[in-house]
Amino acid sequence: MTESGTTAGGGSPPAVAAVKLVKSFGGVQALKGASFAAAPGEVHALVGENGAGKSTLIKILGGRLRPDSGSVQLKGEAVELHGPAEAHRRGAWTVFQELTLLPWMTVAENLLLGDEPRGALGLIDRRKMSRDADAALARLGIRHIDPDALVEDISLAARQIVEIVRVVIREPAILLLDEPTSSLGEHEVAWLFDLIRDLRARQTCIVFTSHRWNEIASIADRITIFRNGAEVGTYRGIEEGEAITLMTGQRLDTLFPPVPPLAVAAPMLEAQGLAAFGIRDIGFTLRRGEILGVGGLTGHGHRELFLTLFGAQRAERGTILVGGQALGLRGPRDAIRAGLGIALVPEDRKTEGLLLPMTIRDNLTLAILKRISRLGVIEAGEEAERTRRLAEALQIKTPSLMQPAGSLSGGNQQKVLIGRWLLAESQILLLYDVTRGVDIATKHEIYELMMRLVGEGRAILFYSSDAEELAHLCHRVLVMREGRVAAELAAPNLSAEAIVAAAVRDSLAA
Amino acid sequence: MARLGRLRLGRDRRRTLYALIAAVALFVVGELVHPGFAGLDSVEAILTIASFVGLVAAGQTFVVLIGGIDLSVPWVLNGAAILLVTLSLGEDGRALYALLLTLGMGAGIGLLNGVGVAFLDVPAVVITLAMNGIMEGLTLGLSGGLTCAACASYAPPIVQRAVHEPILGVPAELFLWLAVIVIVSFVLGRTRFGRHTYAIGNNARASYLAGVGVRFTTVLLYALSGLFSALAGILLVGFGGQASLGMGTPYLFQSIAAVVIGGVYILGGRGSYLGAAAGAASLTALVSVLLAMNMPDYGRSIIYGVVILVLLLLYGREEGEG
Amino acid sequence: MPPELAARRERRPFAAHLVSQNIGLLLVFALLAAAVILYCVFFWIRQQSLPGNFELTSTVNNTMPLAMAAIGQTIVVLTRGLDLSVGGIIDLTNALAAVHIQDNVGSMLGWTALVLLVGAALGLVNGLLVGVGRLQPIVVTLATLSIFQGLAIRVLPQPGGAIPPSYTAALVDPNNPWALLYLALCVLLWLAFRRSALGVAIFAIGNDEGAARANGIKVVQGKVIAYTLSGVFAAAGGLFLAATATAGDATSGNGFTLSSIVAVVLGGVNLFGGRGSAVGAIAGAFVTTMIVNILFFSEIDPLYQSFYEGLFLIIAVVAGAVIGRLLRRRR
Repeated sequence: MTESGTTAGGGSPPAVAAVKLVKSFGGVQALKGASFAAAPGEVHALVGENGAGKSTLIKILGGRLRPDSGSVQLKGEAVELHGPAEAHRRGAWTVFQELTLLPWMTVAENLLLGDEPRGALGLIDRRKMSRDADAALARLGIRHIDPDALVEDISLAARQIVEIVRVVIREPAILLLDEPTSSLGEHEVAWLFDLIRDLRARQTCIVFTSHRWNEIASIADRITIFRNGAEVGTYRGIEEGEAITLMTGQRLDTLFPPVPPLAVAAPMLEAQGLAAFGIRDIGFTLRRGEILGVGGLTGHGHRELFLTLFGAQRAERGTILVGGQALGLRGPRDAIRAGLGIALVPEDRKTEGLLLPMTIRDNLTLAILKRISRLGVIEAGEEAERTRRLAEALQIKTPSLMQPAGSLSGGNQQKVLIGRWLLAESQILLLYDVTRGVDIATKHEIYELMMRLVGEGRAILFYSSDAEELAHLCHRVLVMREGRVAAELAAPNLSAEAIVAAAVRDSLAA
Repeated sequence: MARLGRLRLGRDRRRTLYALIAAVALFVVGELVHPGFAGLDSVEAILTIASFVGLVAAGQTFVVLIGGIDLSVPWVLNGAAILLVTLSLGEDGRALYALLLTLGMGAGIGLLNGVGVAFLDVPAVVITLAMNGIMEGLTLGLSGGLTCAACASYAPPIVQRAVHEPILGVPAELFLWLAVIVIVSFVLGRTRFGRHTYAIGNNARASYLAGVGVRFTTVLLYALSGLFSALAGILLVGFGGQASLGMGTPYLFQSIAAVVIGGVYILGGRGSYLGAAAGAASLTALVSVLLAMNMPDYGRSIIYGVVILVLLLLYGREEGEG
Repeated sequence: MPPELAARRERRPFAAHLVSQNIGLLLVFALLAAAVILYCVFFWIRQQSLPGNFELTSTVNNTMPLAMAAIGQTIVVLTRGLDLSVGGIIDLTNALAAVHIQDNVGSMLGWTALVLLVGAALGLVNGLLVGVGRLQPIVVTLATLSIFQGLAIRVLPQPGGAIPPSYTAALVDPNNPWALLYLALCVLLWLAFRRSALGVAIFAIGNDEGAARANGIKVVQGKVIAYTLSGVFAAAGGLFLAATATAGDATSGNGFTLSSIVAVVLGGVNLFGGRGSAVGAIAGAFVTTMIVNILFFSEIDPLYQSFYEGLFLIIAVVAGAVIGRLLRRRR
């Protein structure tokens, strides 16, 4: 049942509302006039694909970003927020996806930042702060986080919980959460949802973004679906298939390109008993033409696995074989030059992948400089030619390859990163969450590219935080939990629900 | 963003241009204040002095481009000067041997700096500062405070000629500097090593994940910095004839100032040696103009600092969203 | 939360946390203790007696300027900055004190206050350029160093001026280590600072500027105040230097820039910001002085002094990093 976008139902002013928000970054429009409203005492979910604009919307509502046009209403009043502090003053608090904890300060210091208990002479009473933090955590049912531990030293899931608690103890009237469950396990998600129900009973308005359908269905009162920077509609009780169709504008079966059939083929990359920091006892075989997916909650070893396979992290035990040959990888250079060539498209393209101020051309050729140099001098003609051809093949949208990479949209940046490895002619591609923060059109281009690449004989190890992607793009999926492979899923058992179920299960069931 | 992109590319070249314009403008001002300032002899003299700063600035450019800094300049330079005269004893016959060892010493100290930064994770400020102290102690100790028998020797005539001898009427030192400018610019702009340097300066982690040998390049860059400090020391003592204590001290500040004025970004990844060289020329011209105006010592210091701040503010504003 | 989760993470007693989070501080005090012991050994070898009140007093008095400079530097380094103009501020304040302080209480108190104010103003210039101007600290303070040095020479072109003996006695009593009281006061101020909103802000800025801003911390204000405070402490250092030297010299402060950085690094303050204590920096200043004393009494050729200081710095930093890493890995 559809409802209009900007009324909260019931006639009373909405707790929070967005009215025709527009926001662009560089040449890309993240929000194209998005609107929605949520009432006090309501749990409202914002749903949409990666790149639909949900995160940007939350950041604007929380005062972190300013819209190009449109307005924000808090507690029925139109406001212009000049920063998060102003939003806080009006009772709107946000838990952002990128944690904003201070790593070298304790959990207690982070929890009570700005509201520390004062003692004699108006100075902060550190002992009391520790006790207060402990009490606050205990009141919310958390006993396993040490308030005197440094944030740097606690797990990612614990950090996400601290981030949530930090906001909840401020007693917000409006609570905004951006992907709050990305690294939380089953019990922790249950805890969070209990907490949300509690807050709802106390008339707090809760708005959260997610792309995990079963979670949304279990807690949200109403759902606003976003696509391409604007809302499609607000619904109360909608079926998953219909929701996905609305989210993607396509039917589920045309959303993903067909996966090329997998012939019995030679193994290109194998791991046997591989152990390193964050991973234990990893074994798998990746064959020519195969897309092997890796799934699971954030912080459970995927990153470490990819880094170890690429030689960027030392393997403590076990073997890595490329084309049947065991390798000792002392660093990425070894991985890149190893026979078939391993390539890593890393987690955060802005901080780990691209050199944003350098030209697109420089970014593309960074891994192949030796091949296009003679006696250490780069052959400019060769460089220009190869990059031109590649940019054409990948349809990288830019007026010139001499522009800085930072001027490209997220999707095109991702193409440049993949392009670097295509130039290097790497046959084994380790793709880490390559569609995160990428607009939908480019995302589909990347899917098609992946299929083309494996059709040409490459092999891809693909990590994604989106279980639907994994279910539809991969031949098989390994679900990781606590650094181990908890489950291996293949047709006919391969589905998004199965992946999520295997990921959140607390114990390693068979 | 696209428009900003085009601006950004021009920015580095623009700053080099500013530094060059500043140098020219200073000569014009100098001529107005003190006729004859912009005469050929005067310009040659000023540029010769600037060349020593320029050589140290070459080394400084290499390490600043990866976000580092070399505070060991003063005593590597001084040590090199003293080492050259004591090894060569003022004789051409021993010159080659002395030169090789001295340059080797500079590169070696730089190598140690690089190892400290790349392998031991010691901040550049700390290791180069410590190395400066080590060189100071070794130089003073081994030379007995410059009282050793060989210490009063002159630089070998061949080195003195390399600095003073006029080629086509211009002192050879300037040709040497020009050669350095050409070579360093070429290395930074057109070679794999240069590209790696800029990549590391922009993002060491991303460079590492693209297969760039970050540690190796870092060590090499610091070794080059030490090499250039030593080279500057050699040519300086060739210029002045004899070595003295403390001859290296002014060059630390001046080399960093030249690099900054020339548009090299102190956090790394952007800038060119041509800019730093122009910066060295401007700074030296500035000091000379002030001297010609009979500005007292303190005035020079103050104006020096103010000029740098003004330029930083100008550059900073262009950066936009910092 | 189900019991399995609760058992998963063990709580450590407050004391254990105190230790592991203050490793830098513990290390520098261990270093200081070792240095003192070594000093006593060499002293005994030379003088057949242990160092007494005179040695303690002169060590303390000689360290006061550096200790002050180190405190100021700590505050700036905590914000992930660096203040290279410290030497220049000491030059200028030293010169001002030598020229203007007369032998009466009014003049002494008045000019002390004025000099500290000048230090604050100089620091404010740095702070505005770094905080509001968003310029890089290294280059800004390098430029202001040059400016302040120039101003110092303008005030006192030749070494001269005189500090009244009563002023010297008040700051750096030559007979007894009363100067330690000033340090005790600074330590108290530091402990208060750390437990104040400003202190939290400074630490937060150095931890992660972006996160600090997202948490509502006024980053620009914090940086401006940090550099201003550095200026005040550097000025205090200049006053102590004038009192110790009893006369003025507009260039005697120059070495303090780099020495203050050494003291801060030895004291366990992290150059990348967010971690460290001024108490450690004070201890680091004393370690620096003790090294000089040890070298003197060990009869090592004084020309080699810098060599040993440099070597010591490298070993201390590398050893500290290795120990720190080992301890954190064990958790």
